[in-house]
Order: sequence, then structure tokens, then C-alpha cells
Amino acid sequence: MNIVKVENVYVAYGPFIALEDVTWSIKKPLFLSVIGPNGAGKTTLLRVLLGLIKPFVGKVEVLGLDPSKKALKLRRRIGYVPQRERIDPAALVLVKDVVLMGRLPKKKPIAFFTKEDVEKAREALKLVDMDNFWDKPFSHLSGGQQQRVLIARAIASQPEILLLDEPLAGVDIASEGRILQALKNLVSEGVTVVIVTHNLNPSLKLSDEVILLNRKVVAAGPPQKVLNEETLTKTFMREMKILRLEKEKVIVEG
Amino acid sequence: MGTFNFFLYSFLINALIATLLTSLTTSAVGVFVVQKKMSTMGAAVAHSSLAGAILALLLKINPLLGAFILSILFSFLISYIGKKEEGRMDVMLGLVFGLSTALAVLFLSLTSTYSVSAWQYIIGDVLSVTIDEINILLTLTFTTLLLITLLFKGFKFIVFDEETAEAMGLRTDLLRYTLTMIVAIVTVISLKVVGSILTIILLVAPAASAYEFSHSFEKAVILAELFALTSGLTGLIASIYLNVSASAITGIIAVFTYFLSYIFSTKRRKCKCIVKQIRVIKEKTL
Ligand SMILES: Nc1ncnc2c1ncn2[C@@H]1O[C@H](COP(=O)(O)OP(=O)(O)O)[C@@H](O)[C@H]1O
Ligand SMILES: [Mg+2]
Repeated sequence: MNIVKVENVYVAYGPFIALEDVTWSIKKPLFLSVIGPNGAGKTTLLRVLLGLIKPFVGKVEVLGLDPSKKALKLRRRIGYVPQRERIDPAALVLVKDVVLMGRLPKKKPIAFFTKEDVEKAREALKLVDMDNFWDKPFSHLSGGQQQRVLIARAIASQPEILLLDEPLAGVDIASEGRILQALKNLVSEGVTVVIVTHNLNPSLKLSDEVILLNRKVVAAGPPQKVLNEETLTKTFMREMKILRLEKEKVIVEG
Repeated sequence: MGTFNFFLYSFLINALIATLLTSLTTSAVGVFVVQKKMSTMGAAVAHSSLAGAILALLLKINPLLGAFILSILFSFLISYIGKKEEGRMDVMLGLVFGLSTALAVLFLSLTSTYSVSAWQYIIGDVLSVTIDEINILLTLTFTTLLLITLLFKGFKFIVFDEETAEAMGLRTDLLRYTLTMIVAIVTVISLKVVGSILTIILLVAPAASAYEFSHSFEKAVILAELFALTSGLTGLIASIYLNVSASAITGIIAVFTYFLSYIFSTKRRKCKCIVKQIRVIKEKTL
């Protein structure tokens, strides 16, 4: 069974076509980066997987389920990290409140948190190196720290698939490294991690596969096969160059 | 003389209970209303309660029942629009607010003989609350506080981040409808106590004051309740001794409390501290 299977998917907002003939699949747990410029349809693609938008053409299957039919059942098996700018940074929540939210989807709405919930939440916070902040107000954290807490929330839900929307935007280098390492560890535990980004450099090293997206899939596959100046230029619609520093590839605007 | 005292005593007790129930419920719900930026919605729903109460007067049924039905209908309407027209919520709320007020005015214009009793639902008349009404308020308060307690975690999630709550499989629609329904019920509770115009103050001011001193929903709710009780009771006492409108004094005190909270906010003081520290560091490094 495929973990994700998307076939000939078209998505439109009114008359505007946001995704065109998108086809790809994930067969085993891996670290996947979806890369494309702003407006490429990356967030839209995540919303399709979650059944929040129904494509007008095409077939979607996630964990063997049709997201538009079995939405709740499916979503409870998926962790989601939103684009941080959509969250009020001064909200009245403590770090523990946020992480414990990740435990809610699998519970009855009126049930109380159990010891196990608290343990899982603390473990998740530890994975992103934020366990000292359990009792702290969310509003007191830096952007990168808030991002790590949002990721911990998704991890606390013990997802089979983890979807992250621009998790590295506005995050300092130290947080960036911690976040990527935590995600990589999840993959080795059998979680499929899909990260959406318009800057591919940070996640490049860790990605098992990449999808270059700009309304259509420009290229998909292992990074060393897919990333070249031609595909990148086509994706970002401006000249891109690949530099080599030591053995590492670095991608820059040309 | 003895019976007169008992009579006086019993309506003061009713007023006291009604004030307590109103303060407790509006302030608790208010924290969610303020954090989710739904205060315009609260005002719109309060005016649909008013329209419902006046319509009930016309139809000679219990005004609180009328208020209950119409406010719930309007709150569902707003929730429904809120989902469909998220980006244009501001305009939509303006329209719904206008519609509920227009209906209230329309029904009012049809009730010439009852306009005195209609007036108490506009500006509140806590000293005229009857024992039957107290029973209704008790039932509604119990329902409200029970729902808030049971669904607290879910409400917190949708207020903080509805997008993720939905993406991770919470029944966000159900939660949002329930929250707006609670707002509707609360506007019914406060209708006779502070009146439809001033309900919005009790929803917003104690919660906004509490925000200045808290970092969690739990603490904010407790503080908001204290602020609301203080302004509610002050209003009631002032109305008895000074013979002025209880709702007006309550509203004024609630807003005044907010200004004081803003000035003495622990959140803002901390900012000043940091600014001072930065200045010290700068001076040292120069
Ligand atoms: N709710 C919406 N209504 C109309 N257009 C939308 C909506 N959401 C996104 N779009 C449009 O669809 C395109 C893709 O959006 P999105 O998936 O958010 O891109 P990305 O996440 O790659 O930046 C953009 O051009 C955007 O303007
Ligand atoms: Mg996006």
C-alpha cells in the first residue's frame, strides 16, 4: 500500500488553477521536501492530502483512505505544522498547553488529559530540545522556539505522516539544525515527513526525495537526480546556479 | 411592615443572584470571545436577543424564550457565514448586526403599549428580575459553565489555531457552533441584568483586563470573573444607594478597570524592564 498516492490532481480556487496534473506517490517512510516559489501551490498540496480541499479532477489516497470521504479518521493519523505567521504570537497559552493540544484529536472531546498524554507531550518537547520551557508562556519564546513547540505539538500526536508548512521560515540556524535533526530521527522511527519550503538549502542534505513544484510537478525524485540548474530555473522562473562548497551543493539565484 | 421588608429583601436577593450569574458567565465566555476576536459577533448576537425578547412580548410568550430562540438562530447564522466567507467576516458581521438591530427596532415600533417593558431589555433592569427568571438564569448558567468546563481544551485549541485543529481531525465545526451558541445563551442571561446595549462591555472588558495579567486561559478566566464580579456588584450597590442605573455603573466600572489594568499591566511592565536592561547594557558597552 502506498502511504500517499496522488494521481492527475487538479485543484482550483474559483477560476484560478492552483495545481495542474499533479502525480506523485510515497511508497515507504521517508523525508520529502516539496520545493517551489511563493504561490506554487505547496500549501494547497498539503490541504489536499488532509482533505481540506477536494480536487476537481484526480484521485488522492493517503494511508489507504480517501481524504475527502474519511477526513476525520485520516487527519487523526496525520500531524500538521501550520505556517507560523498565521498564529497569534501573544496568545494566552503556555508551552504545555500548545503541546498537549496534539493529544486532543485522538481523545473524546470532553476527556481529561491522562498521565500518558503528559508524558508523550513532554517527550515530544524534548525531541525539539525545548523541555525546559514546559511551564513558560508561549508568547515569551522567540520565533524559532515557537516553531519548535508547534512541531512538538504535531509529534505529540504520534502521527504516521507529519506535514510541515514552511517550518524553517524565520528560524535561526541553531533552531534550524535542531528541527531538521528531530525530523530526521522521526523518519528512522517510521514516520513519513513532508516538509514544504521555498528555500531548499537547509533540508537538502536530509531529504530522501524532493518534489519541485510550480503549479505542476517540474521534477520529482532523489535530490541528486532531480536538482540541476535546468529544473531549478524552471521551478523558480529565474536563473538558478548550483555552487559546490567542499562536497556540498549550495543553490543560489543566478 | 414585616411583609414589605421581606418583599424588598427578596427582590434584592434576586438582583444579587442575577448579577452574580451574569458576571460569572459573560466573563468566562468573554475570554474566548476576545481571544478569538469575536466581540463584534457578541454585540450582534446580543441585539438578536433583544429582537427575540421584544418579539416575544408582542406574541405574549416568555421574553427570555424569545431571546433564546432568536439569538441561537443568529449565532448559527454567523458561524455558518464565518466558515463560508472567512475573509469578509467584518462586512458580514456588520450586516448581521444591522439586521438584528433593525428587527429589534421593528418589533419595538409594533409594541407601543409594551414599550416600557421592552425598554428594560435594552438598558437592563436588574431590580425587576423575578424568581421565575432566576430559575431560567440558573439553568442557563449551569448549562454554560458545564459546556465551557467540558470543552475547555477544544475551545482553547480552536481559539489558538483553528487551522491546525481542523487539520489534525478535531470537530472544529461542532466546537465553533457550540462556542457561538454559548455566546448566544450568555447574551440571554445578561439581557435583563445589563441590557442588550451593554452586554458587549461585560463580554469584552473583564476579559481584556484579565489579559493584561495572565499568560494562560485558565488564569485569564479566573481573573476575568473577579473583575466582572467587582464591577457587577459595584453597579448593583450603587443603583440601590444612589438610585442610578446598575448596568450603566457596571459598564463604566468595567471599562475603568480595563484602563487601570492597561496601566498596571504586568505584561507591559516587563517590556519596560527589558527596555531598561537594554539601555543599561548599551551604556556599559559604549
Ligand atoms: N483560499 C484561496 N482562495 C483563492 N486563491 C487561493 C486561496 N489559497 C491560495 N490561493 C492561491 O493559490 C495559489 C497557491 O497558493 P498556496 O498553495 O498557498 O501557495 P504556496 O503555499 O506555495 O505559497 C496562490 O496563487 C494563491 O494566491
Ligand atoms: Mg504556503
